[in-house]
Amino acid sequence: MASVPLPAPEVAPAEPSGTKIGPVVIAFAVGTAVSIALGVYGRLHAPTGYAVNIAGFSSGPAAKAFLATIVIILAIIQTVTAMGIYGRIPLKGAWVSPVHRWSGRLAVLISVPVAVHCLYALGFQTYDGRVIAHSIFGCFFYGAFVFKMLILTRDDSPGWALPLAGGLVLSGLTALWVTAVLWFLIA
Amino acid sequence: MKHRSPLITLAAVAVAFAIMFIINMSVSPPGGSSTGTATPPPAPATAVTNSPAPQTSETSAASASASPSKSVEESKFPNKIVYAGRAEDGAGAIAVAVLGTQAAAYFCDGRSVESWFRGAVQGGDISLKSKDGGILQASLDGDHLKGALRIKNQRVKFEINEAKKPAGLYRARGSKTTIGWIVLEDGSEVGVQTTDQNSTAAPELDPENPQVTVDGEKLNAAPVNGDEAL
Repeated sequence: MASVPLPAPEVAPAEPSGTKIGPVVIAFAVGTAVSIALGVYGRLHAPTGYAVNIAGFSSGPAAKAFLATIVIILAIIQTVTAMGIYGRIPLKGAWVSPVHRWSGRLAVLISVPVAVHCLYALGFQTYDGRVIAHSIFGCFFYGAFVFKMLILTRDDSPGWALPLAGGLVLSGLTALWVTAVLWFLIA
Repeated sequence: MKHRSPLITLAAVAVAFAIMFIINMSVSPPGGSSTGTATPPPAPATAVTNSPAPQTSETSAASASASPSKSVEESKFPNKIVYAGRAEDGAGAIAVAVLGTQAAAYFCDGRSVESWFRGAVQGGDISLKSKDGGILQASLDGDHLKGALRIKNQRVKFEINEAKKPAGLYRARGSKTTIGWIVLEDGSEVGVQTTDQNSTAAPELDPENPQVTVDGEKLNAAPVNGDEAL
């Protein structure tokens, strides 16, 4: 994995000629398809109401809330390092890009057990507004993640594509956290 | 120029998903229902994994009638059942409807307090929440359901039994009004109707002909099974 270091997009403002919109459209389509597939699976399969408890927390929901909160913290690191990479804040150094990449990888990996628990045990549910929103954002988040990974594979995307994708991922994650963890803590 | 590492990340995440699903499928408890039909969870386990789990589910399927052989001590809800009864210390009445892995519940005092709960079934336990932050938790204890709920500052304990029709939980919904009724085994009813923010005692319900008129609007009441949106 480390053999192909991923150069962080150092520049964004002045668009070099020769950017291509086609791959962005394809990446977006693939991400959308992933979102829809997750939603369809979550809706069609019968929720088991049961899944492996992740780590020995007081309860399944507590474990999920804990993991999701770690993911949010990593996402904040992601946002800060991304702002550094784009020169929006004075954050420079060889460590910024690797920290951005690895905090992202870690975040998405930690999110997986939580998402699988949601999908497998609970499914895509619509019994109240919060639950509808959470179900939709859950599907949206992984679609946005796929979109972003696919954009990262090419250098010739328009400069706005990657920040857009990153913003979608972060927005989806924040909405997920608010509609589940915050609600869980308050309720 | 192209980069491979994001694709590797994507693949790693996909693999992580697959691993989590396989782990979940291989440990899922059988069925969740004692009524033969609802045993889908073991089936995918047999299809997907070749781990030890499928063998146990096959043997238990083979000994069809003695299905609860493995997890005897763990009680499970029937696939479809409704419990109803009065709360301890006369705080009101409670009904809980269970259908498959989902459950709905209703608590009301017959005068002004009511709350609808919704949530999931896990084996012999249910854990439900209401929209305004109330919590209801209960467990099977033999053939009755024992638990407690909390709404606002009130905590209500209960121990209730199965309610066979016409007893049970009923609900009617109009353009502005929602009504819930708990019909008890002795035929008595406890219900609350809420229009906008105002809650009052519900009109009488005839379970045989479940139609009421509120403010000139005819409402049809329907039994709550446990899986409906509330």
